[in-house]
Amino acid sequence: MNPESLLRSPLPTAKLTAGCPVLDRVLGVVVPCSSVTEIFSESGCGKTQLCLQLLLSVQLPSSLGSLSASSLYLHSEAPINSADHLFDVLLKTDFALANPKTQFPIKLIVIDSIAALFRSEFDNNPSDLKRRSDLFFRISGNLKALAYGFGLEVVVTNQVVEFVGTGEGLNGVRIGNLGCLYSFGRRVCPALRISWANCVNSRLFLSRSEEIVGKENGLVDVGGDDFVQRRTKRQLHVVFAPHFLESSCEFVIVREEVFAVEK
Amino acid sequence: MDVEVWRLPISATQRGKLISAGYTSLSSLSSVSPSDLARDLQISGNDASEILKAASHCGRLDNADQSHAIVTGAQTAWDMLHEEDLSRRITTSCADLDNILGGGINCKEVTEIVKDNVFLILIGGVPGIGKTQFGIQLAVNVQIPVDFGGLGGKAIYIDTEGSFMVERALQIAESCVEDMLEYQEFVRKKFQACQVQMQPKDFLKNIFYFRVCSYTEQIAVINYLEKFISEHKDVKVVIVDSVTFHFRQDFDDMALRTRLLSGLALKLMKLAKNCSLAVVLLNQVTTKYSDGSFHLTLALGDSWSHACTNRVILYWNGNERYAYIDKSPSLRSASAPYSVTGKGIRGSASNSKRIKMT
Repeated sequence: MNPESLLRSPLPTAKLTAGCPVLDRVLGVVVPCSSVTEIFSESGCGKTQLCLQLLLSVQLPSSLGSLSASSLYLHSEAPINSADHLFDVLLKTDFALANPKTQFPIKLIVIDSIAALFRSEFDNNPSDLKRRSDLFFRISGNLKALAYGFGLEVVVTNQVVEFVGTGEGLNGVRIGNLGCLYSFGRRVCPALRISWANCVNSRLFLSRSEEIVGKENGLVDVGGDDFVQRRTKRQLHVVFAPHFLESSCEFVIVREEVFAVEK
Repeated sequence: MDVEVWRLPISATQRGKLISAGYTSLSSLSSVSPSDLARDLQISGNDASEILKAASHCGRLDNADQSHAIVTGAQTAWDMLHEEDLSRRITTSCADLDNILGGGINCKEVTEIVKDNVFLILIGGVPGIGKTQFGIQLAVNVQIPVDFGGLGGKAIYIDTEGSFMVERALQIAESCVEDMLEYQEFVRKKFQACQVQMQPKDFLKNIFYFRVCSYTEQIAVINYLEKFISEHKDVKVVIVDSVTFHFRQDFDDMALRTRLLSGLALKLMKLAKNCSLAVVLLNQVTTKYSDGSFHLTLALGDSWSHACTNRVILYWNGNERYAYIDKSPSLRSASAPYSVTGKGIRGSASNSKRIKMT
């Protein structure tokens, strides 16, 4: 196969839209099809919100730049309860994808979250870690085969762990464009270490910090923190991706949607 | 002339009959039937088939140790040096890196990146360091026409991870064309030659892309390469991104994995040698537990790292990306900064503008 023919393939822009033009533009395109994208952040930063928005926007018709397709949402709490179980489910997914129940093909699989499955069962000793990374590669190999075979996109979410130590050391191994990742003012790094990082094609990081606004109102000095107007600042960073360079943007979550703000 | 029938384990009388009948070489016996031989030598049919059996056995042994091929294949070191001079290199688009690689990736050895007489190069690094970018950049750069100091070849890209993005390849190809136009402006003052005729899309036409989804497919594709390349003679570089991925799952039998991998490495090396092309393998890094702590190391173990004649490690140093020649028979260890830009791999960021991150 020639890349040239890929460019001319039936869906020349078979990309998922994030449902927000600014978000799409800042990140190139949020997620290209046939790859595995990971979104990681602390809880409460908007992973699930962003995933839900992706699940919805994938259904938009192609006239709106989307895929008019359905999607599959695998939640790590209720239905899927262990990493082995996830693997079994993925093996069966093949059939479901080939025979979709609706008239729309499935073009998006969201796994929320991958870390929850792996963080509970495995001990921190070499043999368990080896078993764990073995499972990473099996699951990821399976996801990538599905992604390629059916031209769909896989989005997985991941949690963070507290950064311990002073820079170097195993946790300090720098992965991607951002030297240090800060969320809520603390330094964090993605869970599941480097072996999982090898399993994904691109990685996005959501961060959240409190920002003091309203200094101009003169409220800051009046009566301590209670009167200071605070604002949550959420940012989305591209940690690494094969198709676009380091970039980031600020985004806002409101009742109706997730959207990016231009600086 | 060598009378090969002397080596046959047959009686002296039969040997004499063979020679007087004109059968002196093993090849002359290879196509004759037992009944013809019996008639020519005036011996029984049984004896004739005994002789033929002995002859074919002898012939097989010859082929097995390939003594002829090795002897005639001997080369003087002078020839090899000369050959090395002739072989052109693929630039990495980063001057510093080209320097430490002795001018770029040479079309003949398997390196985990490409270099001087480095047909086989292994490039390893953490996720996001730019391994795939290197792969795409080399797939584009190998096509730079000879007039512009390139190879004018084609590329094979074997993608195991699904990270090859056509849009990105197009972007890099566009920048490559721009650079060539710039070079043309510069050269025109002295010469009239050098016309840029390639369009960015032409670059994409010359990248043959294989997407493999399991290690069996990976082995099959690599076995098929020889045939594919014999049909597409211009292929000058084979990129495997990454060689590791599928071999990190489903292997309980580590000895089998090592055998399969060494088999792959041997095949690629042979391919590089026979078709004079460069093979670039991208590898992942992993953590290894030893002496009570974890270290970063290349995936797939030590025996695999012996297979690659050249090894380049990509790593972060502060905010800059560096490439380090970790192992090479002809290059000395050195490191060079590089950066990944919108145009592809380029020189160090400290010399050029860089997007600041907060």
